[in-house]
Amino acid sequence: MRFSLRAFAAALVCRLLRFASRVLRRGGTATPGKIAVRICPTLLSVLAREVSVVAVTGTNGKTTCCRMIEEAFSEAGLPYLANRSGANLMSGITTEFVMNSTLFGRPKKQYAVIECDEAAARTVFGQLRPKVIVVNNLFRDQLDRYGEITHTLSNIREGIRSVPDALLCLNTDCSLCSSLAEDLPNRVLRFGIDTELNTVSEVPSDASHCIRCKAEYVYDYHTYAHLGGFRCPSCGYRREPADYAVTEILLMDGTHSEVRLRTPGGTEDIRVNLPAVYNLYNAVAALCACEAMGIAHAVCVQALGRFSCGFGRMEDFALGAAGAKMILVKNPAGCSQALEFLSGTQEPFALTVCLNDRGADGTDISWIWDANFELLAPMADRIRAVYVSGDRAEDMQLRLKYAGLDDTGFRLIHDQEALVDALAAEQLPIYIMPTYTAMLELRSAIVRRCGGAEFWE
Amino acid sequence: MRLKICHLYPDVLNLYGDNGNIICLRERLRRRGIDCELQRVPIGEKADLSNADLVFIGGGQDFEQEVLLQDLRGGKAAELRAAIEDGVCVLAICGGYQMLGAYYETHDGTRCDFIGALDLYTVGSPQRMIGNTVFQCTEECGGAELIGFENHSGKTRLGSGLKPLARVVVGHGNNGEDGFEGAHYKNVFGSYSHGPLLPKNPAFCDLLLRTALERRFGSVSLEALDDRAENAAHDAMRRRLLKS
Repeated sequence: MRFSLRAFAAALVCRLLRFASRVLRRGGTATPGKIAVRICPTLLSVLAREVSVVAVTGTNGKTTCCRMIEEAFSEAGLPYLANRSGANLMSGITTEFVMNSTLFGRPKKQYAVIECDEAAARTVFGQLRPKVIVVNNLFRDQLDRYGEITHTLSNIREGIRSVPDALLCLNTDCSLCSSLAEDLPNRVLRFGIDTELNTVSEVPSDASHCIRCKAEYVYDYHTYAHLGGFRCPSCGYRREPADYAVTEILLMDGTHSEVRLRTPGGTEDIRVNLPAVYNLYNAVAALCACEAMGIAHAVCVQALGRFSCGFGRMEDFALGAAGAKMILVKNPAGCSQALEFLSGTQEPFALTVCLNDRGADGTDISWIWDANFELLAPMADRIRAVYVSGDRAEDMQLRLKYAGLDDTGFRLIHDQEALVDALAAEQLPIYIMPTYTAMLELRSAIVRRCGGAEFWE
Repeated sequence: MRLKICHLYPDVLNLYGDNGNIICLRERLRRRGIDCELQRVPIGEKADLSNADLVFIGGGQDFEQEVLLQDLRGGKAAELRAAIEDGVCVLAICGGYQMLGAYYETHDGTRCDFIGALDLYTVGSPQRMIGNTVFQCTEECGGAELIGFENHSGKTRLGSGLKPLARVVVGHGNNGEDGFEGAHYKNVFGSYSHGPLLPKNPAFCDLLLRTALERRFGSVSLEALDDRAENAAHDAMRRRLLKS
């Protein structure tokens, strides 16, 4: 594949548009790529051909997992590019490759850490030709956009089918992800959690029946949602042993966890520099992927111990007297885990939930009724203030009322600046749970007030 | 007073926050001091529908449809038909609503027989009908304005004897063509509206509760509740949809 005139022109246009959008202080992460792809649909395949790529897809945790992998790449001193701001469709990924290549399409970085939208995987993988692909998990998410979960799984499967040489890192606790190993020729490494987790939230299972024969699964243990030690009593399809596994949780608090880890190299205790159990999956996935990319084990472990994610994922801000932690929520599985994290804290706090229903959030907000907000009721005495915001603040207010909180004291504030003003006056620690576009807006408003990086920086 | 609610197939018909309808029914009984017994009947478990006061059936994925139909054929279909004829109050949403009809035909012509409790059938179409909705209930169904969200590709047609639940104000409803939404037969209410349907539409929720309670206990009066949060959510979306 040579760098055709068409590709050259497309990349140049992309570069100019990106420059213009930065001058105008807009993000410009996707639009330039969108136009470039229209000019040259195969631009990505040309630009990515000499780059060693690790790609992460799945419903929850893509961004966090990528940040962990990035930390290991930095630690190892490997030059890499990454699509930093969740611009994870063909357009955003293409923009990133253009910006990291010379005018004539030569890569400036030898490696890439790419987060890929699960629906876009179908078309992106063939052009990106990743060396390693991580499939994190599959949960119901934006049903108005993705449709049924098995449809999303087929998208990923089709994408992987175009890259038979890629090594797959699969979540072995997810019966949907794990099924990819059944009919694809790729080499597979598996990661998972070997032990029951004391999660209490119940969400409707997204995979209660066998993907092969439709009999109901039996579980030896659960971690969360439909993840765990599943097996089908009818056809024998079951969780396969993990190559990289968390075998025991030694400590988990509001800032980090310490776990026992089993890898092909042995067993050891490591630190994961983010709280919440879902991040253990991200950590063990990242470890699996980094080692598959050839990074030394010790370097990977060190990275997990000190990386920070930011960008709304358990991100801390100096807002209010005691600080604020932002926890992005997108779907029932992740939201319930965030609520479970709140259950594990000890202090009184102020709760803020921002619900938007724009394209990137999903226009259907009925998922909030599948998330286990009922977990808040037992800690009602610790929840000293409740703020609801976003385009669908009234729906959020109603959900919290039916979850058992007293809604008479709720503060409904639509305007993001006004919300940040109110939060700034809070004396207690603040937990903010925004959906995706609410996170972008709120984060900007908070950053303007108390510092931090804009999303494209 | 105690009301028996049966949630049919919560294990597979649970796609669009439909459990919120159960949360809402129970909470509005609790606030009025009425006891509620909830029976969850997953696939493979025996239901006792003849004893239920209110049956709820949600929507699901195509993936599990086969196991579901098999389970229905194992006795629940007949039980459900009998309960419906007997006047048990039923709320069926989306896939659950379609399931009460005669059949579903995919757009390439494959037909799948359903339980035939209601004189309606559904034909798959290539486009999905997705979005926020406003439906105006018929007088028989309480006359309330329902705010919801629909997401379906099936187009449902009602037989000549079957009445709709509502008239479409914004959205598609049964098929996007005849301007009607849902179905109403005896004490059965079928709708494409999830969101979920009941929390934002308290008057409709109370209509179901009253229907179910009166069948069991005779005339009842439901105490009015503080519905400010309910109405705020209803009105916010109504304003958005009727303005545009």
